[in-house]
Amino acid sequence: MRFALLCAVLLFCAPAWAGNLQALADHPRWRALLHINPGATLRDRHRSYVDDDDFFLAERGADDPLAELRASVVALRPDEAPARCRFPARYRFLAEQLNWRDPAPFSHCAEYREWRAAVHAKRAVLVFPASYLNSPSSMFGHTLMRLDQGEDGAVWLSWAINFGAVTTEQDNSLFYIYRGLAGGYPGRFNLVPYVQKIQQYSNMESRDIWEYSLDLNQQEIDWMIDHLWELKDINFDYYFFDENCSFRLLELVEVARPGSGLLDELRFAELPVNTVRALDQEGLVTERHYRPSKEQELKAFSDRLDDRERALARALADDPSVAERADFQAYAPGRQALMAHTAYRYVRFVNRKARRSEDVAGRSFALLSLMNRLPPVADPAPAERVPPEQGHGSQMLAAAGGQRGSDDFGEFTYRLTYHDLLDNNRGFLSGAQIQGLGITLRGTESQAVDLEALDLVSIRSLAPRDRFSKPLSWYVEGGLERAWAGRRRLVRYLQGGAGASWRLGNLQPYLLASARAENNSEFAPLITTGGGAEAGILYHAGRWQWQAGGAGHYFVNDVYRHRSTLAVQYALTRQQGLRAEVEREGWRGDGETEFKLQWRWYYD
Amino acid sequence: MKRAFLAAALLGASFSAHAVAPGGPGCGWGNLIFEGKSGMPVHLLATIVNGTSGNATFGMTSGTNGCDTSGALTYSGESLLSMNGVLEEVAQDMATGEGEALTALSVSMGISTEDRSHFNGLMRDNFAAIFPSQDVSAAEVMQNITAVMQQDQKLAKYV
Repeated sequence: MRFALLCAVLLFCAPAWAGNLQALADHPRWRALLHINPGATLRDRHRSYVDDDDFFLAERGADDPLAELRASVVALRPDEAPARCRFPARYRFLAEQLNWRDPAPFSHCAEYREWRAAVHAKRAVLVFPASYLNSPSSMFGHTLMRLDQGEDGAVWLSWAINFGAVTTEQDNSLFYIYRGLAGGYPGRFNLVPYVQKIQQYSNMESRDIWEYSLDLNQQEIDWMIDHLWELKDINFDYYFFDENCSFRLLELVEVARPGSGLLDELRFAELPVNTVRALDQEGLVTERHYRPSKEQELKAFSDRLDDRERALARALADDPSVAERADFQAYAPGRQALMAHTAYRYVRFVNRKARRSEDVAGRSFALLSLMNRLPPVADPAPAERVPPEQGHGSQMLAAAGGQRGSDDFGEFTYRLTYHDLLDNNRGFLSGAQIQGLGITLRGTESQAVDLEALDLVSIRSLAPRDRFSKPLSWYVEGGLERAWAGRRRLVRYLQGGAGASWRLGNLQPYLLASARAENNSEFAPLITTGGGAEAGILYHAGRWQWQAGGAGHYFVNDVYRHRSTLAVQYALTRQQGLRAEVEREGWRGDGETEFKLQWRWYYD
Repeated sequence: MKRAFLAAALLGASFSAHAVAPGGPGCGWGNLIFEGKSGMPVHLLATIVNGTSGNATFGMTSGTNGCDTSGALTYSGESLLSMNGVLEEVAQDMATGEGEALTALSVSMGISTEDRSHFNGLMRDNFAAIFPSQDVSAAEVMQNITAVMQQDQKLAKYV
């Protein structure tokens, strides 16, 4: 029956396009509309990413763009075809290509038309909430697409297109992570007011947001929105590493502008920052805007106060009647206003996740009223920020030479991702380290090339404390490394710690208590645990980044070990750095010193 | 039908402002100055997969996850104020006479570009009248804004 209808349609239109059907199925926009993988990721190559029968009109539509095209022609051609209301972008594509002329093709689609009237845009903006200290789960950032209805700066009225996994709350955390990584959740597009995203990222999670206006014209934006409707309630697979939020947004841009070249290269992982880079390199980014988090705004205000004013602002936050006191009144109104702003932002910040209480609401309101009575304060100029896409590449290769004891060695390192405390921190959060999958091979005079270290994960968050913010500093790392156990052996370890960090000008000291679990072939127990401490100091100046520090551990089998390091890295260019390191490793009664000079090259 | 829903949401907001969090129960998060409803705790791990729990919302056609987003961006002042957390930001901007929340409010009320700085100034000067206490509701704030604008030569035409 369907076949017969298809034949009729084919015959009817045959002169115009019968021969071009295959060409049409290969059209970049048709393939973009079906989300055919052009070879950008390993799974589902040359078939559709969409994992949902509702998205296809042909039985083998996911595998066969031509079959889907034929079925779409059949379904969309008749006047008032119900399928038009589901696939307006497909209809538009076919109508344009096949010269279908219907002045009001969607007149029967009340729901779509209502939605489309509410969701319209003059500008598309890629939004990148950067990572924030103290949440490794945010470490790679996220991207979403904003649709601005006007050009009037009223971004609170904009829509946000977000792609994320649809999860169930019952799952426990570990299972959740596993399924998130392994593709166990369906991914869906959703559309929410952008203001909700600002609240989530900027207010609740203290993440700075970067916003990139895209060079898409009205027509291209309309393609994107029309197609978005086709994705309503449609399931994709969600894979954390490659088929994630960022990748899906690139697909949307591909619908807007087919042949943009964004999906040409095969990737194993799509880092949001690389998405921004890709768009930038294709010339699609016209403007960049930095939206500091609420925490950064508080910090910018408190930076404008001196120590006494800060103490007074802190007191004001606890008790707004401090504003009546003589020592507060003694300040000029402008300074009073700065203190009031700081106090207000502090109260809102520290209570951002708490339940509403009359006390906090009352204090907040009293401070707002105080701000209102005092002269206006210019918003602090946002601190000079290097946008994340201008940071160094996410992968790294390094070559090093050095000496350990009396042995010379040569070394080669590869790191999949991403940044350590000594790497060039332009475009990165200072005090944050995220490393995953690093491997180091070392060859010495006396020994052939051997595994020196395998870092599975190393996350460090050294967040400075001040009067208004008291974050925890912590770290966790694990993998294989060389350590002293009778002799220098490859040991398997997991280590972590927590403590505090402070900022004194360019200096950042830190102090952490730490614990270690280790397995090696010398110690009798399968797993030997130990406890200890770690202290150090970071110093940053221009292209130079210094770190001096030491850590020591006592183990339950009475072994004692410590390691002290002095290291410095000079950023040669964005993608290259030179690092020198002196390390003293000691154990009961003896020790060894190592010196190393390393050239680091970042890419991707 | 959608309009009826919107109207119901607005009426609901004005009659039971203290019983229901703006945007609907179970929607949004955080400790707000003006509305007493603690929100959905942010599941930190949700950050990993940028997850949404339950049904994905899709602009106007949603409402299924407890968030009333219908009409939220339809350029109407009160529905903007009724969104979770917006009232607080508007209050902050009104206290100082500038900010994105205030811009969004003036745009949603149809105030033309040349009148916006006047609007901002007027809101700042009348902050105490518009926000008389921390227990004020979105609907009351909207009434107060309207009352202030009606007394103003330039802005009376917008209300």
